[in-house]
This record gives sequence, C-alpha cells and structure tokens, in this order.
Amino acid sequence: MGLVSTPAIVLHAIKYGETSKIVKLATRDYGIQSAIAKGAGRPKSRFGAQLEILSEGTAHLYLKPSRELQTLAGFEVLRLRPGLAGEVRRYAAAQVLTELVLRCAPAEPHAWLFEFLSRQLDRLAEVTSVKLDEAALSAVWQLVRILGFAPQLDYCARDGRSLGAGAARFSISDGGLVCSACAAGRRTALLSRDDREALQHLVAGSYDSPVNLSARHAAAHRRLLARFVRFHLAEGREFKALDFWERLPWRDT
Amino acid sequence: MSAIEEAVAELARLPGIGRKTAARLTYFLLKQPRAVIERLAKALLNLAEQVKACSVCGNWSDTDPCLICADTRRDRSMLCVVEDAADIAAIEKTGEYRGLYHVLGGHLSPLDGVGPEQLRLDSLVARVANGSVVREVILATDPSMEGEVTATYVRGLLERYGVRISRIALGLPVGGDLEYADSVTIARALAARREMTG
Ligand SMILES: [Zn+2]
Ligand SMILES: [Zn+2]
Repeated sequence: MGLVSTPAIVLHAIKYGETSKIVKLATRDYGIQSAIAKGAGRPKSRFGAQLEILSEGTAHLYLKPSRELQTLAGFEVLRLRPGLAGEVRRYAAAQVLTELVLRCAPAEPHAWLFEFLSRQLDRLAEVTSVKLDEAALSAVWQLVRILGFAPQLDYCARDGRSLGAGAARFSISDGGLVCSACAAGRRTALLSRDDREALQHLVAGSYDSPVNLSARHAAAHRRLLARFVRFHLAEGREFKALDFWERLPWRDT
Repeated sequence: MSAIEEAVAELARLPGIGRKTAARLTYFLLKQPRAVIERLAKALLNLAEQVKACSVCGNWSDTDPCLICADTRRDRSMLCVVEDAADIAAIEKTGEYRGLYHVLGGHLSPLDGVGPEQLRLDSLVARVANGSVVREVILATDPSMEGEVTATYVRGLLERYGVRISRIALGLPVGGDLEYADSVTIARALAARREMTG
C-alpha cells in the first residue's frame, strides 16, 4: 500500500530500545494500527513531543497490510490535550475509552468511531470539573452502545414486558432494566427514578442533559457501568484502566 | 539451546539490542581472552549482588542509604520527585540542585496496570508528612502526558501537608523523557519551576 496519511489518535506508546517508540494508533482511515517510530525517543527527534498518548494529528504510515507492525514515517500533532493531565479523573476516563477501543473495537476502519473518540477526548479535556463525572460516564456508556452493547432501558431485558415509570431494577447479567416479576430472586441494582433518568441521558449522550450527579451518585454509576462492561465486553480479560477509574475516590484526594 | 544461542538470546533482551547486534557482540566476546569475559561476567554479577535500591529515596546504590541521602551537606528541606533513578543522574549532572530525591519507580499508566499502588508513594508521603523538615517538593516527573498526570496525582496526595509543591518548567513541547534532556535544559527547568496549585 506504501505511504499513506490519515488522521490518527495515539492510544498507547512504549519505548522500544534506546531511541524508538512503538505506538498504537486509532486511525480514521485504516482502523487500529501498531507502528514503530524510529528515533522517537531522542529528545530532538522529528517526532518531538508529538507521540504523546491521547494526542491527535496526521500520521504518515508505511502500510503493509500483511504486517502486524507498520512504520511511522511522521506525525504532525494537531491537539496535545494537556487538559487531560490536569485532573486524574480526566486522564482515567480517557484511558478507559482507550482501553475499550484497543480491546473491543472492530479491526476494520470506522470513521465514526474515530470521530467519536476525538470528540469525547476533547470534551474530557475541556469540560468543567463539575460536569466531568457526567461527561466521563456518558462517553463510556456511549462507546459501549456504539460497540453494540447498549443496555436495554425501554422494556424488560428478560421478557420484553413494558416497565412502569419511576424507580426500576437493573440486572447486569440480563443487560438492562427488568420488570418486578423478573427481578424476583435475581441480583439487581435498584435505580431511583432520578438515577434511571440519568442513565438514559448518559447512554444517549444528550449533551444538554439535566443530569446533575452528586459525587456519590457518580461513583455508584461508575460501579454499575464497570460491572456492565466486565460482564458483557471483557470475555475474561482484565480491564485495568476500568478498574482504576472505578476505584477513584469520589473527589480527587 | 547451544551456549552461543543462549548468549545471543540474553543479549537481545537488552534495550536497543536486536538479534543481529546480539550475535555480533557474542562473536566478538568469543574472540576475547577468557579474562575479559570473566571481568564482564563479574561486573554483571556485582550489579545484582551489590547494587540495591536506597531504602530512603529509591536510588540505585552500593550503600544504604545512598551517598546522596547520607550526605549531610545536602539541603534536607528540598525533595525532588523523579520517575526513575536514571533521572537523578541527569539532574545531578547539572550541579544546580542540592536537595534530596525520591524515586517513584514509574508513572501512572492504568492501562498498563500501573496505578498508585505500583509507585513508591507511601514512602513519599511518609517523608513529607507531619513533623518532616521538607519545605518544598519539586515534581520532576517526565514532561509527557503520563508524567504530567503523575505530578497532578502526587500534588493531590501532598497538598494537605502544607509544603510548597512545584513543577519543573518543562512543557509538553519538549517531549518525552527527562533522562535524555541536556543539562542546560534541566537546569533551566529547575530554576523556572512553578508552584503547582489545585
Ligand atoms: Zn420481565
Ligand atoms: Zn537515597
């Protein structure tokens, strides 16, 4: 395929040897790609600071579809997103998105997945502290939905019966809300009317949602989402960034 | 596996050494007098047997505490927090810093399984906590996304102890790794360090 250029986000970067880096990129046009950036570890390399994780730019790649490791010829950074390092919660949420994309995204390129990730990372870097928990929960729930694992919130996830308004029971293993008949004898989490409504907004990703989660509620929502992901997407694999995000204290200590 | 293959395999595990270079080094060593190989083997064994992490700061050293921690002329009110012991060498080379150090042993990278528990944070808090002579903590983690967020995390841990917390002035644009920055850049970054506030 030869030399190609594509918008790309650096998902992961490790030093390789004394002077090189191996990066995992979410590219818009070629899906997830691993590439070696030779000389990127030198302080005055042509890559400079440009291969920082979570940064975005234009990647120039020598692509050989038969290869697992491509060669990165250059990377022009457009967004470094230093805001993500300003609060541990921002970085932790961004790492959860990264982890889900790396583990669960389809191999073939999907421009909309790239655009989604780019938009959400921008938002996590810039959203006010007060709205951060909501932005993080919403970003992760939306990604879960995009990856094909949307929770069932409209009717009973077991028997399809319609659900009354107000508080409801959420069953992780059934993948959504369940009616009271189905909830009997099952492990469920009780969602108050407000929490149920909040969950609907978070999954839908409505930006001007009226959701206003207290820190304690946000932590409960984090636990629910983390358990949901582990049950439906993990397939026995460890999700370390998810673990870290779930265990974050209510407030930065 | 033959002795040659074994040597090549072991050398190829070193950073920056591919199989080709490893093979070249192996054949070079084969041509050397036995004493040369013995000296190399002994030097490597000494690394394992004599060099330990300093129980105070985490620096690699033949002695415990290390020479820096044991040096009474150093300024005990200043603590410089770095990711790796190699960063200490880079800062020492500037000759501009007279305080003590603390090695974290890495940076926060939840995706790679490196959380706060994997870093030397408890011992850092203990050095700064109530009754400590430390007045200023300089966060000299790498000028990278991970280094920045690690500095943010450490600031959050330490701010209740009433010490001045500052960050070396190396922005992301410098890029990468403190260890590889030159002495002039590091000295400038130390001098221009800024107080970190929440
Ligand atoms: Zn039902
Ligand atoms: Zn020491």
